Amino acid sequence: MAAPEASPLHQFSIDRIAEMHLGRLDLSYTNSALLMTIAAGLITALMVAATRNASLVPGRLQSLAEMLYDFVAKMIDDNVGEEGRQYFPFLFTLFMFILFGNLLGMIPYSFTFTSHIVVTFALAATVFIGVTLIGVIRHGFHFLSLFVPHGVPKALLLLLVPIELLSYCIRPFTLSIRLFANMVAGHTMLVIFAGFVAPLGLFFFAPIAMDAALVLLEFLVAVLQAYVFTILSCLYLRDAIHLH
Amino acid sequence: MGLGFRIGLELVVAVFVGVAIGWAIDRWLGTRPWGLLVFLFLGVGAGMTNVYRVVKGLGMAVGYKGEGRGGTEPGKGERGKGEWDDED
Repeated sequence: MAAPEASPLHQFSIDRIAEMHLGRLDLSYTNSALLMTIAAGLITALMVAATRNASLVPGRLQSLAEMLYDFVAKMIDDNVGEEGRQYFPFLFTLFMFILFGNLLGMIPYSFTFTSHIVVTFALAATVFIGVTLIGVIRHGFHFLSLFVPHGVPKALLLLLVPIELLSYCIRPFTLSIRLFANMVAGHTMLVIFAGFVAPLGLFFFAPIAMDAALVLLEFLVAVLQAYVFTILSCLYLRDAIHLH
Repeated sequence: MGLGFRIGLELVVAVFVGVAIGWAIDRWLGTRPWGLLVFLFLGVGAGMTNVYRVVKGLGMAVGYKGEGRGGTEPGKGERGKGEWDDED
């Protein structure tokens, strides 16, 4: 899988930093894991530093943390409702982790762990399993009414229920592929355009200008995709709590 | 990477997941090719349902139903419908 150094995909290759094996399991500490550790560390540091000297008139750091908090809290209030409040810690962690993963990936020579489907699928599967469990625990057998559309003739239900069921099962896939594909596409595009700089000779400035614009776009995508992932998780949660 | 990307993704992923489930069922029960056929069409159906929901603005999420945003009391927390649709 290791792509050659100059390949646009080389930036996604995983390198082992510290070898670690448990039986036949390869638990090596990789650059991906390193970036995740950094992300988790930075988030913790930000929140701790922001709340340590909390004052009524917030300083810069405190207002940043408050804005992030308000952003996620409002998203949950608008999309899930009152009952969603108890799931705030999870959704906030999810949002911050993806946001920091995307943004840390924008640092040159760093690594974007959200560009690996294993990572995004693990996140999406956690959301999916968690939301389904919440639905089943809250509603028991009645949870299955989520798959029965309203006001449909009985005969059509035979066809529609499997379709609803399938479209429910697709959720973790679309959720994870959306994030992963956006990150891979953007970062690959940056390197491809950068690769045009030398061969174009006199017109070297054209791809550089393109890359400059793309970097800005990528920052937008990084924040937007974290937002999209979280809001879709909210909506799934809403479905599980309110059924319809 | 906007709405178009989302629509394409919904369609393609639905078909792939349908085929994968059908194929697995065939392998498991030895009912080739019926599982594959049935689930291929169910996948296409599910994908189209999702696309229809996205386009209609009903479905910001898959399987989202009804006009009322259940969790939100009317008048509170109106996120304009278009707010989601322009971006993805």
